[in-house]
Order: sequence, then C-alpha cells, then structure tokens
Amino acid sequence: MIHLIRAVFLLLCCVAVSSTSRAEDAPAGNVTAKHQITGLFAPDREQDLQAVFEKLPDIKLIKIDFENAEATVQYDSAKAFPGAKLEQIVERFDNLVRGASNHTFGVKPLRTIDKEKLKRIEIAVAGLDCKACCLAAYEAVFRLKGVECATASFKEGRVTALIDPEMIDKVELETALKQRGVEVKLP
Amino acid sequence: MPFDSRVDQHMKRSSSVIAALLCLLATSASAADIPTDFLKTHCYECHDTQSKQGDLDLSTFKFDDASRENFERWVKIHDRIESGEMPPREQPRPAQADKNAAINVLKQSLIKVERARLDDGGRTGVRRMTRAEYENTVRDLFQMSGIPLQGELPVDGSAHGFDKNSDALDISHVNLTKYVEAADRTLDMAIATRPKPPTSIRRRISLANAGGFVAHVLTNGDGILLKNKKPDPDFPPAGDQGHIDEGAHERMGSFRNGASVGLFRHEDESFHPYFIEHVTLYPGRYRMRTSLWSFQWDKGTVLPGRGTEAARLSVVQLSGDGRGGGHPSYVLGYYDAPSMQEQEHEVVHWLNYKEIIGFNTASLAPVANYSRKGRAMAFTGPGIVCDWFDIEGPLHDVWPPVSHQQLFGDLPVTEFRAADHPNVRPPKRTPVRREVGAGKNEPEKEEGVWTVQSEQPFVDADRLLATFLPKAFRRPVDAETRQFYVTKVDDRLKAGDCFESAMRWAYRAALCSPDFLYHIEPAGQLDDFSLASRLSYFLWNSIPDDRLIELAAKVQLRTPEILRGEVERMLNNPRSQRFVEDFLGQWLKLRQIASTDPDRKLYPEFSAYLQDSMVAETRAYFRELVNQNLGASYLIKSDFAMINEKLAVHYEIPGVSGSQIRRVALPADCPRGGFLTQAAILKITANGTTTSPVPRGAFVMARLLGQPPDPPPANITAIEPDVRGTKTIREQLDKHRTDMVCASCHAKMDPPGFALEAFDVIGGFRDRYRSIGDGDPAPRGSIDPFIGIGFKLGPAVDPSSDLPDGRSFKNVQEFQSLIASDTHRLLKNLAEQLAIYGTGRDIAFADRDQITTIVANAERDGGGIRTLIHQVIQSSFFQTR
Repeated sequence: MIHLIRAVFLLLCCVAVSSTSRAEDAPAGNVTAKHQITGLFAPDREQDLQAVFEKLPDIKLIKIDFENAEATVQYDSAKAFPGAKLEQIVERFDNLVRGASNHTFGVKPLRTIDKEKLKRIEIAVAGLDCKACCLAAYEAVFRLKGVECATASFKEGRVTALIDPEMIDKVELETALKQRGVEVKLP
Repeated sequence: MPFDSRVDQHMKRSSSVIAALLCLLATSASAADIPTDFLKTHCYECHDTQSKQGDLDLSTFKFDDASRENFERWVKIHDRIESGEMPPREQPRPAQADKNAAINVLKQSLIKVERARLDDGGRTGVRRMTRAEYENTVRDLFQMSGIPLQGELPVDGSAHGFDKNSDALDISHVNLTKYVEAADRTLDMAIATRPKPPTSIRRRISLANAGGFVAHVLTNGDGILLKNKKPDPDFPPAGDQGHIDEGAHERMGSFRNGASVGLFRHEDESFHPYFIEHVTLYPGRYRMRTSLWSFQWDKGTVLPGRGTEAARLSVVQLSGDGRGGGHPSYVLGYYDAPSMQEQEHEVVHWLNYKEIIGFNTASLAPVANYSRKGRAMAFTGPGIVCDWFDIEGPLHDVWPPVSHQQLFGDLPVTEFRAADHPNVRPPKRTPVRREVGAGKNEPEKEEGVWTVQSEQPFVDADRLLATFLPKAFRRPVDAETRQFYVTKVDDRLKAGDCFESAMRWAYRAALCSPDFLYHIEPAGQLDDFSLASRLSYFLWNSIPDDRLIELAAKVQLRTPEILRGEVERMLNNPRSQRFVEDFLGQWLKLRQIASTDPDRKLYPEFSAYLQDSMVAETRAYFRELVNQNLGASYLIKSDFAMINEKLAVHYEIPGVSGSQIRRVALPADCPRGGFLTQAAILKITANGTTTSPVPRGAFVMARLLGQPPDPPPANITAIEPDVRGTKTIREQLDKHRTDMVCASCHAKMDPPGFALEAFDVIGGFRDRYRSIGDGDPAPRGSIDPFIGIGFKLGPAVDPSSDLPDGRSFKNVQEFQSLIASDTHRLLKNLAEQLAIYGTGRDIAFADRDQITTIVANAERDGGGIRTLIHQVIQSSFFQTR
C-alpha cells in the first residue's frame, strides 16, 4: 500500500514539475505595458492614482487614459514582480496596486471586447458629494458582469457605465445602485 | 513561628473557651445582678406577669448567661432605660440617681456576662484578607498598580455592616483554588521574560477609527467630521441622503484624514464608541491624551455651545462577555469639553491585556438622527468633539520591572540555552497573541527563552526569600519559616526545575499561605507589626509601606506622637482614597448605587453620568470632611456641597460649570450638602420607581444615627407604593403606624423617612410626587430639552413629622437642624463605624466605654472627623486584638 502511495505522489510531482516548466517567463528588462485600471471613477482620481504609484518605486506610471480607464506603465518585471511568470504579472500588479491604494484601485487586463459594441448608459442619481460614496456607487455597477467601464459623480448627479448590451441593461444597473443605498432619480 | 504552631495555640485557647462555655451551659443560672426595686417601681406596671407588654415579663425575666438572645434583650432593656425611652413619657419619671444606679447595676451585670462569654484571646477573629485587600496588597507589593485580581475571587460576605469582619470572611476550597490562580496570574505578570521591555508605542487614534462603531453612526448623521471647526468638505454631514457603504469610506480614508469627530449621539445598547485601534497586548502603564471641545450644531453650521460639556473615557475589557450590550468596563474619568475651545487632557493609567479605551458623550441627552428625516442636516443641538486620542506605552522606568526585582533582586536575566543546562527544564512561556483583529498593536517577536539565572541558587534563594517573605507577610519571618520555603526551592531544583521555576514555586506557596492571606495578630495588645498592618489595612486597605515597617521594627509605632504623624502621612497619601471608597461603599452602601435602575418614564433625566457624579460627590464630601477636620454636624447639614455641573443642575444650584467635582458654597436654606440629602444616599435608599419612608428612615437610623431598628415582625407585608398618583405613601403608612405591633419602631423610623420624602428616587427635590397615571402636566424644570417628559405631577409631598422625643419639623431643613444639633450621637455612630471597619470586629457591650472615651477625646479636641479618626487609632480598642 505504502509503495502505491509513494508512486502516486512521485507521479503527481512529475506532473507538477513539467507543468511549471511549461509556463512562460516574464520578459527581462524594462517593459512598457497598458492595463485597465479599476477605481478610476472620476477625473480627480487620476491624482490619487499617481499617489499610489509613488508608493510603488519599481513601477513607473507613464500615462493615464481616464476615458478608457487605462494606464500605461513601465517596469522591470524581475524587479517589480520577482519570480513571476508572464501570466502572473497582472495578478501580481493588481495585488500591489490594491495594497498601495487600500483596495480602492485595481488592475485588470485590457478589455477584449470592441468598444463600438459597447453602450454608454447614464443614470441620474442624488446623494452626498463624497468621494467615498462615489466609490461605493461605482463599485455597485462596475462589479456587474457586462460592465466594462464606469464613472460616478454625486456632484454632477450622474453614474455612467459602458456596458455590453447583450449581457446587461440599465434596469439592472439601477437596481444595483438602489441596493447599495443610492437614490436613483426618475427621468 | 510557623503559622501551624500559632493555629495550634489558637485552637488550644478555643478549646478552653468551648469547655468553659459547656460548663456555663450546664449551669446557666447567672450570678448577674438585676435592679429589681427599680424595675418593680417603674416597669412592672406594663411588664409583669399580668401585663407582659411586648411579651416581656420583668418580674420573672432573669439573666441566662448561656443565651445570646437573653443577653441581647437585657442590653435593650438597659438602652431603653438609659435613653429615657422607658419608662414612657406619660409615666412618672424616675429620679436621676435611681436611674443611674439601676443603669449601673445592669451595665456591670452585662459586662460580667459578656466577658465570661468572649474569648479573652482576642476579640478580632483570625480573618483573611477581603478581595479588595488582596488585590491592593498584590498591587502595592509588586508595584503593579492595575493588576486585576479581585474580580476572579469569590465575593466576600458582610457582618456588622462591613466585609472586614472575621464573621464574614469564611474560606473554602473555592477560595483556595482561586488564590492559587491569582498567585499564578500575579507571578506571570511580575516576572520579566525578556531582556528588554516591550517597545513603547505611541499611536494617534481618531474616534472614527475602524471597528470603533463611530464611523458607522457618522455615515447616518449621528455625528460629523470637522476640519477647522467646520464640516469636513470631503465628508459632508448626512442629510436626506446618508453616506452609503461604510466600507468604501474606510478604504477611501474618510475617517483617517485628520478630521475631528463630533458626536451628537450618546452611548446606548447598540452604540459603544471605542478607540479600538489600540488593544493592549502588554500590561502596564500607558499615557493617554485627548483633545476635546463642544459646540452647538445648527443644521450644518457649527456655533458656540451651551457651555462646557463632559466626555467620559472608560476602560473596556474585551476579555469579558460582550454580548447583549457592550463589554464590561469601568470609568477612567469624565473630561471637560469647553465650548469651541480645545482642551487637552492627560492621564497615565494601567491597562491590562485586551483592554481598550471607550468614549461617551456623557453630558449629552440620548439623541439619534439616523432614523430621522434630514439626519444631521435637520438637527439642531449640542455635540462633543474629539480631535484625537493619543496613547503611548507600555511605560517602563526600569527594566526588569520593580515587580521582577521584588522577586529576583538584581540577578541577571539571560537567555536559557538548553545545552548549558543539561537535565534542567526551561521555564514555561505563553507567547503574547493578538486576538482582536481591529487592534493595530502587534506582539513583538521573541527569540529564545530568557530567564533569571543564578550561579549559586541555594544561596540566592535564601537571600531573596529573606527579603521577600517579611514584605509579603508584613512582619519579620523567622529562619524556620524561611527554611521551609528554601527547602522546597532546593527540592524543585533537584527535580529538574530551572531557578526561575523553582523560585516561582516558593513564591506561589508564599502567596497562598495563611501568613500572606490572613491578618495574623497576637492576642491582647497588638505588637508594632500588627499595628502597622491594622493601620495600613484601615487607611490604605493594603500592605504597610517601608516606613511603617521600619517604625514597627524600631518599636516606635505605638508612640502616640509618632503614630499621629503616621496617620497624618497616610491620610495625605493618595492611597487613602481606597479607605474613602471602601469605607463609604459599606458604611453608606455606595456599593449598591447601581443596584436599581430608575424608571425611565418617571425619571427620564437619569443617566450614568448623573449616577457616577452622585458617587463622586459622596466620596469627595467625606474626603473634604476629613481634610478640613469638620465636625459631625456636617454629616447631616452643610453650608457647602461637593458637586459638578451635572449635580448642580440636578440640585438646581446655579453657577457650576464642568465635570470636575469641586467645593461649592450653598445658598441659604439649601438642604443639600450633608450625606443625608446627597443624591447617592437618596438613590440607594429608594427602589428605582418609588420612595418609602421606611427603608430611608431605617437607613438614617442605622447608618447615620447608630440606632438600627429591629427587623420587622414576621408576616408583616411590605407596603407597595402607589405610582398611579392616587395615594401617598404617608396615607398608606398611617394605617400601618396605628398598629400597636408596628407603632413603636415606626415612631422612630418614619420621621427621617418622611423628611426625605422631599426627594425623589434619584435625589431630585420635589414638592409633588411624579405619576404615570393621574396628575397635572409636569414642567420641564432643569431637565435637558432633548429628553422627552412622559410623567405627570401627582399628590403633594408632606415632609413634616414628629420626632419620638416630641419635637416636630415642617420640612427637611428643619429635620436636618434637629438631627445635626446632636453631634455627640452622630460622632459616636461614626466612631463605631470606623472602629468596626478598622478592627474587623463588632462593638460589644463591654466596648462601649472605650467608644465613649474615643468620642469624648475627639470632642475635647474639637470634634472633627479627622480628629475622630486619630482618636480611634490611638484607642486601646484599635490597638488590641
């Protein structure tokens, strides 16, 4: 019996080693990359994002594209994400940004869906002009499947979302906002 | 001499007494004299075989030396004749000479009978420490000023009004088990287990700290964030729309941006503000500072406030059961929050493992905006602001700490390496753990096992125990006793314990030994060490300090001048506050202050702040009487009061601002000031809903006048006060008082109670009873405008009555004047209370002359309370066992 267990264990080890060896190493040297940034729900969040990157000395923020909620960054993966394989970079990057921003920003791969297929939804809202309330409203809609991009501003009384109309509609967005305590204005 | 030998001697003495008692029982006929002629002339008319009033037939009633009940009855006969109560007023008065002669015969007989009964080996029984004494003793012995121990020990009983009496201090296996646990807890905390102290950390905490409950209520408008005394633009006050998602605000740092936190809401069942970012990991002293101010909020605007508000800081014990309304806590203090003006407060206090600091807007009325339309933006009312709270510690002046040095002197603490100590077990260590996630304090990494080590353990053990045992046992310890502990250390070392563990065994044994746990006193006159202890446990409720022991060792303590100087020193020491609190807790029953919750409909203005202020008043007042050596009349009537703003408003005394208790001159004819009319006393003697003259009268008789009434006869039902407003308690009692069985006691007991009917259950003055049924609409008076009033005004209060001696009074002020004038009676009662408390024994009949002498000496020297304390301590009553 013990021989059988040892054999199974050995086999599992071999499989693990071979699968690991198939992972692609991250490219060496400085890399410039573009990622989608979550939590970028208002223009003044650009400043907050810059402050976050100041806490990450191994990653340089090159450019913020607020319209598309994207950021261009530069890093040496060996320094910024030591030991990471290529497919682990985004996850490791996300963890770093979340940690540095107290979980108000995050990193995702660039969206793959064609922007022209997306639909922009605008919802009128009422409430406190408070950045944290906006974050809450933003997260209420952004976490929904089919939402690719979102903004929230109580000052302007508006929540916007770029959605895949095949997956979600405005009513679902409004429901999510109401559930979070946001007062949705009637048209 | 080891304790066992002393117990043997005591047992032998006890056996002799028991044998003597048995002989007495066999021949109970007494040789005591009775003033028969006097009784025949003045008493038989009502108390002979035919009349037998009060079930007393003096023509056949004789002394029975074996009967305690018989003795007590003769004492009562003596007292009634002496006081002039008997023969009754309507009967011819006996000639003074005849009365004196009769009294003297009875007195000598009673003393004779009592002396035969009492153990001549000592009136004060062998007694263990009370819970409070135990805790204070450990705290002072090891200089660990906040180690919590008494909460884990069984509750002490009470006899003759105090828990210090040996009759109340029984001991069981439960006590012993708890003493072992307490000793272990003490040693765990006292012994240094690391080469350097835990790092002192300073942390600034916002009242809106995560996990501290406040952030949640801010989002709903029960508080606001402020910057520069204006609403924080990043966190607007909640209006029709509250802030959504507290978690999002936490992550965005809304509560960590340096804003001040203003609160409108009071602590309640579901809201307990905590500074929970500090959860104590390392017990010790911590320095705490906070900045507070107050304001008037007007729908979005900050305006000057109505005056100085008060915030409460409390120590909250997360180790307790937090379910159902907050964790156990105790008040650290009340702190002023002046209008629009920041005031910083600092306190250094001992905190234990898992203790945190709680906050409350103590002076504000309970207000909640969260369910109201418009929330904070629709609210106008007072608020209290906490700018910040700083905590720093643990603070260690020396390392190893004094507690460790008491046990191990200057022996080095070094790393225990097993290879260097073959076959030796290292000491056990329990790593410090962070159990509360919200706390930001982290346990420090500890590498290796560090322990005290000795090159010559046997010699060091003997040396260390020679120093420790006399301190712990409060007297010199002979070589034989010390050797007992040293031998055990040696045994443990041979069994493979390391030096610390072996010594710990001895120390634990010492802390559980009768020499430590009991007050060991010789029969007869106390020796100097026993006197030092008795004095110290009287005025400090704890162990004697080095100075007292030094004087005892020089046999100087009993010298009256030196003793007087020491009493002065001790009364001036902050430790004497323990005496004030412990003595008043029992004499005036302050310990029972929270035993009733006033009815919220009838007394909506009652609050924990008011209750704490009540207790603080009574303590501060007694302290003032002692400090200023004021006379006994001040027990009843005073021209000043010790109050804060809360009490001043309650008493309707103008011109007092702030939370701190201070001396305030009273307007003429104000009944406040003395104990009699203090809110604490009035609350303790009421049941929370109604007052009754009976318990209040009984309290005054027993506690202030020294004449406790007899217990009510069997089968007499208590009167149920009527809160519907239809019948006063006086009307109900009138029927009761016409009953002959009840009348004699009620004639004495009811008048003080009637006078105190002028005060309600929380000590507020009244001329009409509050009612929840019939009555007229009640004016708001001094009740906070944010408190709803649902009660009505019922029947008028009649505080007039007649004293048993025929003098009458119309109101409480007149009653006070009548009682306060009898300073001798008041001083005598206080002398008795102090003597019982200070010696741990009751006042026997034969002790009365000593009490009389104490009072006479005090009166000769001006009759002040401080003088009385001196006279009690200088007396032979105090200085003999």
